[in-house]
Amino acid sequence: MRSNQNNSTTSGSSNAPKYQKKFYFSRRKYCVFCKDKIKFIDYKNYKILENFVLETGKILPARVTGVCSYHQKQLSKAIKRARHMAFLKFVEPKRG
Amino acid sequence: MKRKYEIGLIINPEATEEEVRKIIDTIAGIIEKAKGSIENIDEWGRRKLAFPIQKHKEGIYVFINTDVVGAAFLSIERRLKLSEKVMRFVILRLDDRLKKANKLTKKWRRLERISRKSQEIKEESMTNEKPKAREAKNEK
Repeated sequence: MRSNQNNSTTSGSSNAPKYQKKFYFSRRKYCVFCKDKIKFIDYKNYKILENFVLETGKILPARVTGVCSYHQKQLSKAIKRARHMAFLKFVEPKRG
Repeated sequence: MKRKYEIGLIINPEATEEEVRKIIDTIAGIIEKAKGSIENIDEWGRRKLAFPIQKHKEGIYVFINTDVVGAAFLSIERRLKLSEKVMRFVILRLDDRLKKANKLTKKWRRLERISRKSQEIKEESMTNEKPKAREAKNEK
């Protein structure tokens, strides 16, 4: 502990405090749907669904977007229905 | 037992308005025979598709909300599959929404209670934290 304290004090704005800053200022991810209190995700709201899909058409994982598991299940179903009704693309291979 | 359903259709863009009405009327006729009721008909009109279906880049979107017995969909599905003008369709039961919604409201009430308690605790702790921070500064 002593050595750590010395490093932080002597080296000023070097590695140790930066780590701390990152830890403190990284905002915690939260579920967007829980915040707005959306009860059911409709496949017709394709503009909302587009935010949770990559350019290639892949569904983004919940650990990236921060959506809770409850809404992620509904989201994935809604996206698949939207694909069937031609609101969204199916998965395409990356070009280049 | 009556339940709420939603039907979504994509109709061929070459179809005229009369043909679109015919398709809607046939569905409505089957629903009336089964003593159901139509709650809402949403006609979005022509829209670009995300990808071509049967070599068409556009489609006519129609959404119908109904309140029928589930057995009526045997004949509705057969009609929609056989008709050439309907390119795609979706049939959804909406009862599940209510169940899920009730679950969520219970969950959110619980979370609200927790957040209220935590806020009260925070306000108490904030008053106590300030002198501690001053002490830390003095140490440096």
